[in-house]
Amino acid sequence: MPNFKLNINNKEYSVEAEADMPLLWVLRDILDLTGTKYGCGVASCGACTVIMDENAVFSCQRPVGACVNKKIITIEGLSEDGNHPVQKAWQKAKVPQCGYCQPGQMMRAAAMLGKNKKPTDETISSEMSNHLCRCGTYHRIKEAIHIAIEEINK
Amino acid sequence: MKKETIGRRQFIKLSSLSTGSLMIGFMVPGLQSLALPAFDCEFFQPSAYLKIDKKGKVTIYVGKQESGQGVDTALPMIVAEELEIDFKDVHTEIAPYGTLKEGEHDTGGSQSVMTMYTQLRNAGAIAKAMLITAAANVWKINASSCAADNGEVVNTNSNKRIKYGDLVCQAALLPIPAAVTLKNPKDFKLIGKSTSRSNLNEVLTGKTKYGIDIKVDGMVYAVAERCPVLDGVLVSVDDTAAKKVPGVIKVVSYKGTGAPMHVRAGVAVIATNIWSAMKAKKMLNITWDEGKKNKETTESLFKTFEERSRLKPQMEVFKKGDVTKFSTKNEISASYSEPFLAHATMEPVNFIASVKGDGCELWGGLQLPDWAVNTVSKECGFKKENIKVNLALMGGAFGRRLHFEFAIEAVKIAQQIDKPVKLIWERTDDIRFQPYRPATYHVLKAGIDDNNNLAAWQHHVLGTPVAYMTDGPGAKDAAEMDGADAGFCYNVPNINTGYTGVDFNINRGWLRSVDICVNSFPVESFIDEVALKLKKDPLQFRLSMLENKPDFKTGDAPGAAVQSPARVAGVLKLAAEKIGWTEKRKPNHFIGLATHSFIFAKSYAAHAIEIELLGPKKFKIVRVVAAIDCGLVINPDGMLNQMEGGFAFALTQTLKGEITVSDSRVVEDGFFSYELLRYDEMPPIEIYVVENKEEPGGVGEVGLPTVAPALCNALAAAGYRPRSLPIRKDGFTWV
Repeated sequence: MPNFKLNINNKEYSVEAEADMPLLWVLRDILDLTGTKYGCGVASCGACTVIMDENAVFSCQRPVGACVNKKIITIEGLSEDGNHPVQKAWQKAKVPQCGYCQPGQMMRAAAMLGKNKKPTDETISSEMSNHLCRCGTYHRIKEAIHIAIEEINK
Repeated sequence: MKKETIGRRQFIKLSSLSTGSLMIGFMVPGLQSLALPAFDCEFFQPSAYLKIDKKGKVTIYVGKQESGQGVDTALPMIVAEELEIDFKDVHTEIAPYGTLKEGEHDTGGSQSVMTMYTQLRNAGAIAKAMLITAAANVWKINASSCAADNGEVVNTNSNKRIKYGDLVCQAALLPIPAAVTLKNPKDFKLIGKSTSRSNLNEVLTGKTKYGIDIKVDGMVYAVAERCPVLDGVLVSVDDTAAKKVPGVIKVVSYKGTGAPMHVRAGVAVIATNIWSAMKAKKMLNITWDEGKKNKETTESLFKTFEERSRLKPQMEVFKKGDVTKFSTKNEISASYSEPFLAHATMEPVNFIASVKGDGCELWGGLQLPDWAVNTVSKECGFKKENIKVNLALMGGAFGRRLHFEFAIEAVKIAQQIDKPVKLIWERTDDIRFQPYRPATYHVLKAGIDDNNNLAAWQHHVLGTPVAYMTDGPGAKDAAEMDGADAGFCYNVPNINTGYTGVDFNINRGWLRSVDICVNSFPVESFIDEVALKLKKDPLQFRLSMLENKPDFKTGDAPGAAVQSPARVAGVLKLAAEKIGWTEKRKPNHFIGLATHSFIFAKSYAAHAIEIELLGPKKFKIVRVVAAIDCGLVINPDGMLNQMEGGFAFALTQTLKGEITVSDSRVVEDGFFSYELLRYDEMPPIEIYVVENKEEPGGVGEVGLPTVAPALCNALAAAGYRPRSLPIRKDGFTWV
């Protein structure tokens, strides 16, 4: 089986996997980074979102063979102890219900704010509409993103 | 050695205790008056609900299954309130399966807080009383000179304090008090205060373990292809290509089952990793015998409903007075329809099973674990006592895991390999093979008297009962009538409601808000239709039939639910006031109202929704106002979250949620075809609370039923009356 060197959360990993195995399953089942979630496998729900070279990507759509020499950040590596402005904002707005989709939502928000500290409502809306939350926490996600924007622009 | 013995013996299984009894710990006789710290032990656990160790760590065990509704916070808050402990010092854990009496792990129907409130207060108060007695013994004073405060017992004479952790050994040896005094609610410090979810930090850092994240030593992975038609059988499978996929261990097949769970016949690929299993599944070449009921469609079902609706209902559900006196003159009638719906939890269904000899061990989320164990025992041939269950956190449930066909499947697969197996349903499986919320059709008729008043109300509900699935066709008492039966809250002198069940070959199940949601849409829409037809104000028309009606029991049985028209009116008035019902509206702005009682959870809610009409059948939701009366609120923020999320859930099904069937197969197969509400479609929502001293009601479902009728009533005010959900089908569009 081929071997791939991956940089995840600023750490080097060497994994053995079929080249077509999506990054999602490498993270979850080989590296035990289960904060990245399986939701659909077809880029329709956003639960598997990670940050790759500063972009939010669906890890279910990235074969591991295409992830070498990329800088990958998962929810486990978003901050040392949950103090990323997005995590703090999510905490303040008490966003999660079941919480399953929230790592993906936060990774998308973090990538968006990493590139643009003052995104317009249209940008926020088009970015966050890549994600589904069946519990319906959109109202609070919106609130949390605005809290995070305020925080990073202080 | 001694330490361990005491720790273990203190803890007893409570499954043998009768309903409603207090929890009882273990007492070592004759050692009640040991002085601190003459005796060592590990922890004090006076009931299955809490444990305090000698370092002072307080663990509260949550007996109800968490799936996002917040029981992992609200229930421990109740214990902590009586125990007098700061909530930030509380650790919560899932109550291990089997530590509670039968039925107590069951989670559904918004019942958790309602049914556990007093019992959990008692659990906290008993522990507190024992800790106080232990401290009084140490100080050699009367317990009445001691008080509990913030995790310590205080000597009220000397102001000396002992931490709970330093009292656990003494407390563990005391007899359980037969009766304890509960706090006066006016002294509550925690109940009624918005509290963050107990697992919030884990969720935000990706550390939370849902069922799908659990790993068991030596575990392998499986996905399955299932017969597309319910109750079909496997004829043959060619797995040659599938077996060549690297990582595949084995391809196995299993038979379906009938009631209650209707496991479909399946072929499972077992592999060292889930990706190999998913790839190999696509290469299976399977021949099914679909049986004779393989040509049904949702179109044909609704045609059957329509035809059957012209006949008398199969069963009479509620009758009062004589509706026939008004059945010809000035009769108003309308019919409404609602589709099948899928739960579509974000965490795809999954389950782990391991079979060893004559026993099996299970890991995963179950809302009704006792029923699951009984059924696995029957279907798979294990004695109940040889089935070990490890309950898991669920990434959404909404009733999906009241059903457990996936657990039976996992065991059937695990019986064919000597390793633990994690079965994952792919999203396509989830949408295609669900127990769907039943489709229904409603015919309503209103008779008007000479004074232009609503004098007669007829409601014929035609549905595809869940009970036909769980109990077999012809199941008695199959009527799904909550929200439209004896609890019908409007004061109409003559009422006749009936039900007709129609069989249909896809599986059905309970989905969030169940019958009440299904029946509120036609009831609250039709009330509005009648008001408009009679040229009456829809708010005043409703109030005139609610405010003059006293609370009433909905049956003769001792536990029969009580309906409170006054509280139904109360939430409606609040919602109407907050949205400015009587104020002048902007051009092209329209408001719709709806109210209801979520009767079996003792809670009430109304919605007022304002839309702006942007063009023919094109609208924007401008404002959403919800009003709720759920009595005492344990965690206000949790209640708000449920109301906000419940609105989103209900808006999905109002706008676009629909499962269709062709050739007895579900057509939708994922989120591209079974669309859910997204971020850009979520309107702002305001929630207002009717505050009172009523006992706590349930909040997980009450926020749904009035969303569809309120929005549809707003559209009706704008000139369009939707009578079929989802409204997208009728050409409505929104921004």
